[in-house]
Amino acid sequence: MNRTFTCIMCPTGCEIEAEIEDSGDRTEDGPVILKITGATCIRGNAYVENELKNPLRIVASSIRVTGGNYPITSVRLTAPVPRARMMDVIEELRKVRIEAPVTIGQIIIQNILGLQSDVIITRHIGRRK
Amino acid sequence: MTQKYDVIVIGGGVIGSAIARELSRYKLKTAVLEKELDVCTETSGRNSAVLHAGFNNKPGSLMAKFCVEGNAGFEKAARELDVPFKRTGKVVVGFDTEDLAGLKALKDQGDRNGCPGLELIDRTRLDELAPHIAGEFAMFSPMTGILNSFIYTIALAENAHRNGVNYFFDHKVTGIDHTNNSYTVRTPHGLFRTRWVINCAGLYSDIIAGMLGNTDYTIYPCRGEYFILDRKLEPFLPMPAYPVPNARAGGLGIHLTPTVDGTILIGPSAEYIEQKDDYSSTCPVMDLLIEDGARIFPYAKASSIIRSYTGIRPKLVSKNKGGYADFVIEERDTFPQAINLIGIESPGLTGSLPIARYVVEMIGRKEDLKVNPDFDPYRQGILCFKEQTRDMQRSLVHSNPDYGEIICRCETVTRAEILAAIHNPLGAATLSGIKIRSRAMMGRCQGGYCQTRIAELLMQEKNLEPQEVLYLRKDSRMFTGRVRDL
Amino acid sequence: MTSGQKTLDQHTVSDEIIRCDVIIIGGGPAGLAAAIELKRLGVADILILEREKEPGGILRQCIHDGFGLQRFHESLSGPEYAARFIDQAKELGIECLTDTSVLEITPDKKVITASRQGLTTYQARAVVLAMGCRERTREAICIPGSRLAGVYTAGVAQAYINLKNIMIGQTAVILGSGDIGLIMARRLTLEGAQVKAVFELQPHANGLPRNIAQCLNDFGIPLLLSHTVTRIHGKNRLEGVTVSQVDENLRPITGTQEYYACDTLIISVGLIPENELSEMAGVTLDPRTNGPLVDEHCQTTVKGIFAAGNVLIVHDLVDFVSLEAERLAAAVAVYLENDGVPAVDDRANDTSDKSRPATDCPLNAPAANCISIEPDRSIGFTVPQYVSGRKDFLLSMRVRNPHKNCTVVLQQGSTVIAETSLRKAIPAEMIQIPVRSADLVSREKITVVLKYE
Repeated sequence: MNRTFTCIMCPTGCEIEAEIEDSGDRTEDGPVILKITGATCIRGNAYVENELKNPLRIVASSIRVTGGNYPITSVRLTAPVPRARMMDVIEELRKVRIEAPVTIGQIIIQNILGLQSDVIITRHIGRRK
Repeated sequence: MTQKYDVIVIGGGVIGSAIARELSRYKLKTAVLEKELDVCTETSGRNSAVLHAGFNNKPGSLMAKFCVEGNAGFEKAARELDVPFKRTGKVVVGFDTEDLAGLKALKDQGDRNGCPGLELIDRTRLDELAPHIAGEFAMFSPMTGILNSFIYTIALAENAHRNGVNYFFDHKVTGIDHTNNSYTVRTPHGLFRTRWVINCAGLYSDIIAGMLGNTDYTIYPCRGEYFILDRKLEPFLPMPAYPVPNARAGGLGIHLTPTVDGTILIGPSAEYIEQKDDYSSTCPVMDLLIEDGARIFPYAKASSIIRSYTGIRPKLVSKNKGGYADFVIEERDTFPQAINLIGIESPGLTGSLPIARYVVEMIGRKEDLKVNPDFDPYRQGILCFKEQTRDMQRSLVHSNPDYGEIICRCETVTRAEILAAIHNPLGAATLSGIKIRSRAMMGRCQGGYCQTRIAELLMQEKNLEPQEVLYLRKDSRMFTGRVRDL
Repeated sequence: MTSGQKTLDQHTVSDEIIRCDVIIIGGGPAGLAAAIELKRLGVADILILEREKEPGGILRQCIHDGFGLQRFHESLSGPEYAARFIDQAKELGIECLTDTSVLEITPDKKVITASRQGLTTYQARAVVLAMGCRERTREAICIPGSRLAGVYTAGVAQAYINLKNIMIGQTAVILGSGDIGLIMARRLTLEGAQVKAVFELQPHANGLPRNIAQCLNDFGIPLLLSHTVTRIHGKNRLEGVTVSQVDENLRPITGTQEYYACDTLIISVGLIPENELSEMAGVTLDPRTNGPLVDEHCQTTVKGIFAAGNVLIVHDLVDFVSLEAERLAAAVAVYLENDGVPAVDDRANDTSDKSRPATDCPLNAPAANCISIEPDRSIGFTVPQYVSGRKDFLLSMRVRNPHKNCTVVLQQGSTVIAETSLRKAIPAEMIQIPVRSADLVSREKITVVLKYE
């Protein structure tokens, strides 16, 4: 089976085709890759391999802030986490309530769900006057 | 729970509110029952906002009579009620001999109806009056004007309310019982016992008439679609410009009308439809509007469109019959003290005050009306910051800093005006209600910038949860809730 | 009648006119970067006017990452990117008046503002237009149906969710594959809404490949190209949309209609530079970009009025906006020193027909001291549109359709003065070509042609 990717490692955006094992056999980390074509540099190959085996994503969301001049603020992860765990991270973040003031860069959760990524505040919220 | 009134007016549109105001000149306990959450939701808020001169109406008809009368006195009403109004004049343009014959007939009719100052003009004169309008010749009507129909209806209602009339929104009339000398009007929120019932229910006036034993009339909904063009084109259309009307079509033809706010309307089209509440814009009509509009106003382009809207005419004639039927304003012996106003389409807006006086006269013939000494004809609207001089603006901000916070950028509407719109005397609390009172969200970005801020203000001021914020009608929820609970 | 005297920091609010070297209208990324660079170049008297309560512009609501990859080699969220500049501006003591709107601006650079503190009149020596852009609306593209709750442009939806803590719906479809629509597809999904599909009128996607991958593919949201919404259903709140396929002329194909039940329609069909103030100041707009005509200094047709950022041309990378604003700042600094860098084509001799509405105004021929740049139809527009020919400059453009293995060729007459080969060119990604003034061979216009198979 073939899957096409548009590489996002640089603006060239090579269209890369990956041929993967039809039978559905999988190794521990993703499907068996038979061939990767179309990349013009090794970063492209690496990107596609990662996308097939273990795609990682940065997640950004909102959290509840109490006592601030806005009711919510935005947060993001400091490191990408497995795509399959994105919604788990979102669920965790939904539960958060934090007291203002909060500042950009402030870590509100360390190593969220053990996924080797912290959650940081990305927007200052001052205390409500 | 039954509330007792002398007069119940069904329908809070321009006709119902004009009548309510007229009634409030007398010592009569009056209530207006409006099925929607605000005035101007139906026909009164969806028209060309033109003060017609009266040459389009059949001589001897009530339409002609009320139109000419309503046109003449309007400066006074606009002053009393603080309604934006401009007596711009109007041209009806023609291109060929058939048009010329049509124009002569139109002028004839207008002269017979008593419309002052109608004249047939040539291209040279047309160039002086409206140089960017196409046409070989035209009829010029100096008495035609344009007004803000939202503000006019709101003003009538607010003045009526101030003078003692009670407005009940979300009070759809579901039935009327006639017992002895009184009527019991039924709504989902209670009963109203009254001596007089005035049916101003517009599109649904036939239904209400039916509750009063009058099943002779059927309202045929005839939809008109409009486009609103960017105010950039304002300098090029100083007055309404219409083509010569075609008698068989149900409307006045697709015309160009400037608004008092500086935008331009193209439309309306005319299409008989099945449902009385189908306000959709449709593709073929939208294409037609630009095509037809561009015939007389070459600057009409699709790229200048900032909004479309529709209105539905409550017509008394079916599609097959075509044309117009006269206003029906009647009281029947079988149902005394119930006055039905049916089929009040154009020129209902223009004739609203004379119609109101006519109805009150009908009441006066049966009852001794005592003047209300406290009646105050004056109503002050929301001050328009944008139209003030810089000095006045400075002074306004100095006295109230809310005037210094511009919320709607496109139309320069301040926080002070939006708050006034939110806290309007009638208690209407929808996003559309704020829009029509303040002009916010009516500009070219259509609320792209200010809608979020206005919704937030509305929630704050009226203590609403997000899911309680409504766009216009009861089921028009804007939001489903919060992203993160409080 | 005069208002009372009140002091706001060092400004006096009254009838008097406050002089200022540079007024920057808009405290978003363009305005902030311009201000900081100006300060760095020694211009001290700068004032930023921002209508929101806080600076940062549209970045305030863009909570997703991907900003700053070029400039900072980090993947920041919008507010973080903005904060870098806001903090620096504060450190440099640059004054930024928030909650302040510009009521009026004149060609001689008088600026009248309104804020809770009152009306103030400024006389600037130079003005920087940095007002950003607005979204094309449902109304402007005339989708049949009623006007009802549940139809939102992508930016408005984003503001409700990310700034106002308001959720707008449960099941959505998105019209337009522009980046904002794609970002909202993901955002809505993460907040528990079901996004059924994204419809794109063109036969190609309009957003960046990264967003197609991470906003749609990641969530299994289908992207239907050559489709459009042909009807909105519902009377008070959206109930569904009818979607049709379109042909090569972008007209709906009869018989291909499909109904999608949904309560939310997100419209992401284009951005329009916000140029009301520009026009008030007498700036001539380019109908191809809807932004001002500018030269390589980012100066408009009005002497001393400059423009950068989305108000000039819609950008896809905020990093480029910052660079553009910094180049603009360099030009403004020179302008102030020399009391003028010649405007694009000295409008004193403007013979354009002022009786025709601005929407109809054609591009006028430049005066003798400018070289015009004329892109072909595959490219559509460039910024700048005119150059002096005496300086190196950076030419920005977008292709109208995706192409593989193509070349952008700049020529004067038959002489090629610059060219760039691209393995891939898509409308979503702005192309920038540096041009050396030494390579220009004459004062003839520069044509920009796209050569492709």
